[in-house]
Amino acid sequence: MQRRMFLILLPLLALALAGPPAALAQKPIRVGFPMPLSGPAALYGDPALKGAQLFVEELNAKGGVLGRKLELLPRDSKANPDEAVRVSRELILKENVDFLVGTLTSAEGPAVSVVAKENKVVFIAPIPKTDQLTAKDKLHPYVFRVAATTTMEGRSIAEIVAKWGVKRIATISFDYAYGQDVTRAFVEHIKKIKPGVEIVDQQWPKLGEADYRPFINAQMAKKPDAVFSSIWGGHFVTFAKQAKPLGYFDAIKYNFIGAGEIAAPETTKAMGAEYPVGIWGNTYDAFYWDAAPAAHHDYTARLARFLKDDAPSSWSIQTYIAMQFLTAAITKAGGTDGDKVAKALLGLSIDTPHGKMTIRAKDHQADRGQLYGKTVKDPKYPFAIMKPLTYVDPAKFMD
Amino acid sequence: MPDPTFLFAQSLSGLTAAMFLFLIASGLSLIFGVLGVLNFAHGSFYMLGAYVAYQLVQVLGRDPAAFWWAALGAACAIAVLGGLVERLLLRHLYAKDVLYQLLFTYALILVLSDAAKVVWGTGQLSIARPPELAGATRVLGTLVPHYELFVLLLGPAIALGFWLLLHRTRAGRFVRAAALDREMLGALGVNVSRLYTSVFVLGSFLAGLGGALIAPAKAIVPGMDVEIIVEAFIVVVIGGLGSFWGTFLGAVIYGQVLSFGILIFPRFSIFSVFALMAVVLILRPWGLLGRPLKT
Repeated sequence: MQRRMFLILLPLLALALAGPPAALAQKPIRVGFPMPLSGPAALYGDPALKGAQLFVEELNAKGGVLGRKLELLPRDSKANPDEAVRVSRELILKENVDFLVGTLTSAEGPAVSVVAKENKVVFIAPIPKTDQLTAKDKLHPYVFRVAATTTMEGRSIAEIVAKWGVKRIATISFDYAYGQDVTRAFVEHIKKIKPGVEIVDQQWPKLGEADYRPFINAQMAKKPDAVFSSIWGGHFVTFAKQAKPLGYFDAIKYNFIGAGEIAAPETTKAMGAEYPVGIWGNTYDAFYWDAAPAAHHDYTARLARFLKDDAPSSWSIQTYIAMQFLTAAITKAGGTDGDKVAKALLGLSIDTPHGKMTIRAKDHQADRGQLYGKTVKDPKYPFAIMKPLTYVDPAKFMD
Repeated sequence: MPDPTFLFAQSLSGLTAAMFLFLIASGLSLIFGVLGVLNFAHGSFYMLGAYVAYQLVQVLGRDPAAFWWAALGAACAIAVLGGLVERLLLRHLYAKDVLYQLLFTYALILVLSDAAKVVWGTGQLSIARPPELAGATRVLGTLVPHYELFVLLLGPAIALGFWLLLHRTRAGRFVRAAALDREMLGALGVNVSRLYTSVFVLGSFLAGLGGALIAPAKAIVPGMDVEIIVEAFIVVVIGGLGSFWGTFLGAVIYGQVLSFGILIFPRFSIFSVFALMAVVLILRPWGLLGRPLKT
């Protein structure tokens, strides 16, 4: 009995012994992808996943990287830092992923960064903006970011507002990390580059406030000339719908600029004719960006096909770029060794659909700018677009 | 002393918020008062009301009255949904422990929010204000949007209609009786189970209507279900669970406290409301106009 068993096992054993080298070469490189895929934040998490999927599909069709395919393992982080940590641990310990790309909120990013540090797994954050993620005391060899930071975003907007010739400035932001940080960055920078300005009012609704009218009234009573806001994404839809009929935008002559991607095509599309056209905003990407680098037109066309949407999402680009960086680093390192890939990422420059981008060696932060502009009506589209669209390169004021 | 125009604008915005909340909380309170069920899924019905209204506006398209038909249609659709939930599911839990009902309605939130996501996706949707109410009028130096004015009038109108229904009709008498002693009412030959369904349908109708009517003033997004249920709970806790005028009063107080609270605690807008709720819970656990629970 035992002998027969042995006879059966022997060829298997031989196969197993002979197998590994060949099989290993074919084994895909596994990338864990924690991202909010349910709940309100899935609004951004879904298109973010699509961007990474587009990249992986295209790369694998071309034969992968170093002869190996990429495999994406998405997990729902539910926009909750504890859940993001849990799924990241599971991805590393049970699924043996080689890398982590993902997280969306400024709470999830730093939480997963700790897991990456513990397990020495390279982690690239495509969307969280909090300065905390790459702050001096939190930085470690395995964390990288291709999103803009609150400092970069706040300062970019200060640069724009400084040219408006306004004196009395008010702010309205959610009272939590992102809102506070980006508002502080804006206020500090504008005071520095335009010493004459005065901050006349600051409103701090809670995150996800349903009724902004009391805040809007209180702000109008202070009679500002211009307003900086960081009420982001879908929250801005609610805010604008309540502010517009109260005459808020008229009172400040549309000298309103919003951080938090309020001029993203998704948002202007959702509001259609109700969008307060004339305000300023930003976005990570815009499919209608005519003056974009050639690679962007091509990327947009491919994304539109992939998403089956002629006006594709502006969020997919973030994970697409993150995956580009990761693949380039794997190529440069000649393998998937965590330490080697982490080293390869330092100072790495790649060509993205938005042009050349570099991850700085000193703070692991990409020089990721955003698109800014004044919203206008364009007969070509049934929703507002930004025109002219300016890519604000943050290189000058990242430090 | 702040400018009176500003105070007026501030109290008006508080009142508008109050009327929306009243629409939602009244249904929640009614269902609790009669059925004794704390329907967590009330917020889901409200959210679905907004989504269905959005869908109907898309379908009706250019019809000048599209929004009004959509709002009515959404409220009716949610009423039917509420009826089905009560008839087919909730009914089996009346005899069981309250905990089962809570778990059930909580489970319903999860199921309905995922269902909404499958149908409408995760994107933000928006309904425009109906064209006839798109403008604004200057009252005492402040712009009052017509749509808000409409809601301000609708709130008391619904409250009054409700009161008449409860106190001046036969059905209303049964409803009030059921809230007091359901066994006795059954023994007197009233079909209590049909009465329960009707009350649940009416409560759901109000939730659906609230969702549809708030859509022009808000983005329709996943998550609005949980957001509203918290606020509606605060309102009914302050006013008194099951008390009709208590809910109205609770909503008005909530709106004003939120509006003026931000002037005193600019960075803790929600704090004043929760503080008020805590005070009410300590001094009058049954709410301002509620009745102490019989033991």
